[in-house]
Order: sequence, then structure tokens, then C-alpha cells
Amino acid sequence: MPNVVLLIVFTYRPLIDNIRLSFYNWNISSTRPATFVGLQNYIEWASNPVSWQIVWQTIIFTVVAVFGSMVIGLALALLLDRKLKGRNFVRSLIFAPYVISGAAIGVAFQFVFDPGYGLIQDLLGRVGMDSPDFYSSPGWALFMVTATYVWKNLGYTFVIYLAALQGLRKDLDEAAEIDRTPRARKFFRVTLPQLRPTTFFLSITVLLNSLQVFDIINVMTAGGPLGTSTTTLVFQVYQETFVNSRAGYGAAVATIMFLAVLVITVVQVRMQDKEN
Amino acid sequence: MIISRRSVFTLAGLGIATAGLSACAGTGGSASQQQEGSGTLQFWSNHPGSSRDLEQKLIDAWNEANPDTPAELIDGGADYEELGQKFNAALAGGDLPDVIVASDVTWFNFAFTEATTPLDDLWAENDIDTSTYVETLLEDYNFEGKHYGVPYSRSTPLMYWYTADLEKACLPTDRGPQTWQEFAEEWGPKLKEATGKPALVVADGSNYLDWYFQGAFWTFGGAYSDEWDLKFTDPKTVEAGKFLQKMVQDGLVSVVKDSANDFGIGNASGLLESTGSLGGLKESAQGDFITTYLPGPKPGTTTGGAGLAIPAGISDERKAVAVKFIDFMTNTENTITFTQETGYMPVRSDAADVPEQAKYMEENPNAETAIRQLEENTKPQDFARVFVNGGGQAIGGALDKIVAGQDVEEVFSALQDELQATIDRDIKPNL
Repeated sequence: MPNVVLLIVFTYRPLIDNIRLSFYNWNISSTRPATFVGLQNYIEWASNPVSWQIVWQTIIFTVVAVFGSMVIGLALALLLDRKLKGRNFVRSLIFAPYVISGAAIGVAFQFVFDPGYGLIQDLLGRVGMDSPDFYSSPGWALFMVTATYVWKNLGYTFVIYLAALQGLRKDLDEAAEIDRTPRARKFFRVTLPQLRPTTFFLSITVLLNSLQVFDIINVMTAGGPLGTSTTTLVFQVYQETFVNSRAGYGAAVATIMFLAVLVITVVQVRMQDKEN
Repeated sequence: MIISRRSVFTLAGLGIATAGLSACAGTGGSASQQQEGSGTLQFWSNHPGSSRDLEQKLIDAWNEANPDTPAELIDGGADYEELGQKFNAALAGGDLPDVIVASDVTWFNFAFTEATTPLDDLWAENDIDTSTYVETLLEDYNFEGKHYGVPYSRSTPLMYWYTADLEKACLPTDRGPQTWQEFAEEWGPKLKEATGKPALVVADGSNYLDWYFQGAFWTFGGAYSDEWDLKFTDPKTVEAGKFLQKMVQDGLVSVVKDSANDFGIGNASGLLESTGSLGGLKESAQGDFITTYLPGPKPGTTTGGAGLAIPAGISDERKAVAVKFIDFMTNTENTITFTQETGYMPVRSDAADVPEQAKYMEENPNAETAIRQLEENTKPQDFARVFVNGGGQAIGGALDKIVAGQDVEEVFSALQDELQATIDRDIKPNL
């Protein structure tokens, strides 16, 4: 019962309030009352081409972040699941970025990507190449924030996969070895199927986390260049609400985002149920 | 690992609820409640011009002189925008501060929405003398006959030039280019040829390119707006936009995220930047430099920076203390200290009469440039940038697109439509 109360107070009431707000035009800094505008915020959002550009960027960012951190996290977990010298130190090293604040990582990675004095331009300069302009080119800017986020999030997927690998059935492994099953085949036929629940769990949690990334984008690009080139839906919510003071419009974007995630999650759960 | 459907939905709900405006209480009416404070005045600042230590020093002095009404310095964000956003969040349901730094692009929205309080009555009730504020700077905060702020960290854009680079390019070392045409035809090419670097570096649209380059639009006969009448599709505004684009394409102007740093490490011969960066550049520049006016014809630039404002939603007692605190922070003695450490302009006209300040100006001609430019080469900013909510950022984004090579007419036309919609929706019905 206490959990239900907490959920109602801190999750569902705000969610419903947010949906209610999305039907209003409300300047968040204004003392004037909000005015009811019906579906106007949704119509405005849907008819603005920039919204669809932001949706596309959100999809690219999320898909790359989810697959990138899961694939690399799994690869690292497989590597460090063996008895290697110094593996505990390396494990800690990989996990560390996950607990560092995104804002701090955003600042630090400017010294990696800055086309004027960053590490990448220095390395490329040594082989006679120019650095891409990560701050003014929309594609490179999106690559920059996505890569930074994947690096930060890697520790999470790595640790979860590592824990899952250590809980795998040893008898299946041994059977595969006795049968002299090739390594790749063993991975795809024996290891990966056993990791399916973990993969499913990670796909949902990483997806949710990726959709909420704000700090890295805010620090590194503030949603730009060219105004909105690295703006994702959650950044748009913030931008509209607290920068443009359009709380009602921001709430509409948040509601759209909620519905999109709800649909994705339901599909994922159905697929999982079917497989089970 | 077993995951139930319920837990998945809970996760989803938790995740997305945080993205919403869940914490925001009510819709409007926040200023009608008069918040009592904790007894300690809260001053929200973004420490303009890296002034954190200096602000703390001034606050310590206030606390020593006013032990019954102590003040506390609170980090309000990394820049003016972040501070404005934090204040917006506080207006929607949090604890309000007593004094905030309100920038050229945020003060009007707060005044217009009655989030900040007019100061005139408070001045009268608390015997505050405002006659020595620099009039043009104080009048920047006048809306419908009432003042909603006082000048604090006020600035103008300046041009900074490495003397050695100017000498190398056989250019004068006692002035900057007098027109943008002179820059394009003579200064830019000569500097680029002599040094192999861009002649001028300026910050991108996320970092106030819209402010730095605003005066250039005026020198071409264009503007962002004439009061509420947007001018982005005016042929002269378009011409100025094309000029900016060509300067970048020709490699004469470089547009980067952190222009002061780029200039500081010697990546360009010149810098278009706020006078508030003067203090930092004295430490970081690679060699001697001069500061000059922005190119004309006059007025070739504008003023900017920030003032101090008081939220409307705090109690009268808190307002009375806050207005005295603001007076203290900007008094003649403190504005001199602030000016000398940061490079911002003194906001009291009688500062110039203080021998210490007069001597400082004589010894630091680079600091004097901004003060002379204020009188000779500035005019107030266009409404489209400072009075339209999100206007500065939208113009900055559009200028970034122009710098990236997009069609100037198309970019400005879309910008005009966007800002016109904001004016029609948020401003005109409430004027």
C-alpha cells in the first residue's frame, strides 16, 4: 500500500497533471492565468517541420546509444569475464564513467572534440588530417554527443552483462566444449539465448535513460548547432518550458514522448511474452 | 533475471514522468503569494566576468555592515540563460530568491509577466538615490514608466587585436577598421595573408553571435526589428547576413564556440567579444593587444550584459532589504571594484570622478574603450532580440545556419515567421 501511494503521488499524479497542462498556453514566468487552448499545442508541434527533425534526431541518438552501449558493453563483459591479470582494475575503469555526472563528462569531452585544441584534432593533425568541426557541423555534433553518451553509459551495460555472464549455466558451456562447438556458434547458440532476459531488461532501461539525456547535450552543444541539430525530445521539453517559458507546449512535447515510449515498451513486452 | 510486465510499466512511467513538468505547481498566479524568506538574503548570480570571488568579497562586506540582514551568494547557473531558466523553475513552484542577475534578454520577459517587481516605489520608500546611475544604462530597464532592474555587469562588444599581428600586416595599431567594408577589403585579407590565421574570431549562435553582430546589421541599414516590426526580410538585413556568410567563407572570420579562448591561444588576430572578457584576456592572451570600437557608421554596436532585479513574489520586508542590497552592490565604490576586476563598465556616472578610477582608466586604455564607445557608438538593442521570448537564441540559431552556408533569404524568412508567431501569441495580446 505505501508503495502504491508513493507511485500515485510521485509518478501518476504528475503525469496526469502534465497531460492536463498540455492543453493550456501557459507562460511559466507569468502571473497571468493559463489559457485553455485545446489541442493547439499538439497541432502546432505536429505542423512544425523542426519537430520532425527533432524526432529523427531522437531516434538516431537513442538507437545508436542503445545498440552501441549494449554491444560494446557485452563485448567488454565477455572479455573481462576471463581470468586476466588486472581485470578488476579494468572493470572499475570501465564502470567509473557511469557514476560521473554527465555535465562533468560533457565539459571534459570538449577537450577531446574541440576542433581548435582538442585531442582528436591533435591526433589527426599528426597524420596531416583536419579535424571535423564537431561544433558547427550538424552530423558531427550529433555524433559527438552520442559517442560521449555511449562512453558514459558503457559501464552500466558492462556491469549488468558481466553479472549475467557469471550466472550462466556451466553445464551448457561444458556440453558445447565437449561437442567442440566453434566459438562464434557457441556464443550465438548457447551464451546469447541465456542472456535474453538481461538483454531485454537493458534494452528498456537504456532506452529510457537515453531518451532522458539532457546534461551532456546541454553542456556540449546546448541543442545546437544551427539551433536544433542535437536537440532531442527531452531537450525540447526543457527548451520550450524553461528557455521559451512555454510550459504548456513543453508539456505537450513531454506527453507525446510519454506516449511514444509507452507504445515501444508495450511492443517490447509483448514480444518478450511471445518468446516466453 | 525476471521482469514482470508491471515493473516494466512502472519503469516507463517513472522514466517519462521525470521528463514532464511534474514538479510545477499551478498555472500562473505565482507572484500573488508573498513568500517569506529564511532571514538570509539569497542572491542568485552566474558570476558574470568570472566574478564569483569578487561577488563573495562584496557580500562579505555587506554582511559585516548589515549583520541583521545577511546575504548569501547562490550559483544561479553558468550563464545568464541558465540563471533565467532556474528562476523560471522557481517561479513555477520553488523558493524564490531575493535578488537575481537578469540579462538583457531575460529582464523584459520577467517584467512583462510581472515576475519581477518595479523598483521605483521601493527606491522612494527606502531613500535610495538613483541619480548617479549612468542614465542610458538605467533606462534600459524602463518598461511603461517603471524600472524593473538596475545596471550591474553592463558591457558592450569590443574588438580585440593582437598588436604584433597588426604590425605584421602593416595596419594601424591605434584603431580598428572604421567600417565593415574596410575590414572586408583591407584588414581581413592583410591579416590573413600576414599571419595565416583568420583575421577575426567571434562566438557562435549559442554564445551570443546575435548580440555581437547586431550592430553590423545596423551599419548596413538593416536591423532585426524596428520596435515590434520584424525586419529580417528587409533587403539590407539580408545584405548584412550575406556579408557575414562571405566573410566566413573567405576565411576572414571564424565562428567558434569559445571565441575568447580561441583568441587567447592565438588562433586569430582579432576577437569580437564583450568588454566583460577583458579581465580574463589580460591573463590569457598570447601577447599585447588593443581594444577598439566596432566598425561604423555609428552606431556600430549596442550595450548588453545584465542588471539586478527583485522577484515580485517575495514579501515587502524582503523587497526592502533586497533593494538596499542592490544599491550596495552597485554603489560607486563597488562598481569601481567590479569594473577594474572584470572589465565591465562602471554603472555609476560619478565613478569617473573618483581619482582611483580616473588613474586606472589612464593606465588601462583598453578598459576605457568600452566607456567611450557607450557614449559614441551604441544604441539600444532591437526588440526582436531582447523583448521576444527566445528571440536571441532563435536569431543566434539562424545566424549559425547562415554561417554554415544556408540560403540567407530562406533562413531569415523562416526566422521572421517564427518570431512573428511568438509576438502575436505572447506579446501583442498583453501589450
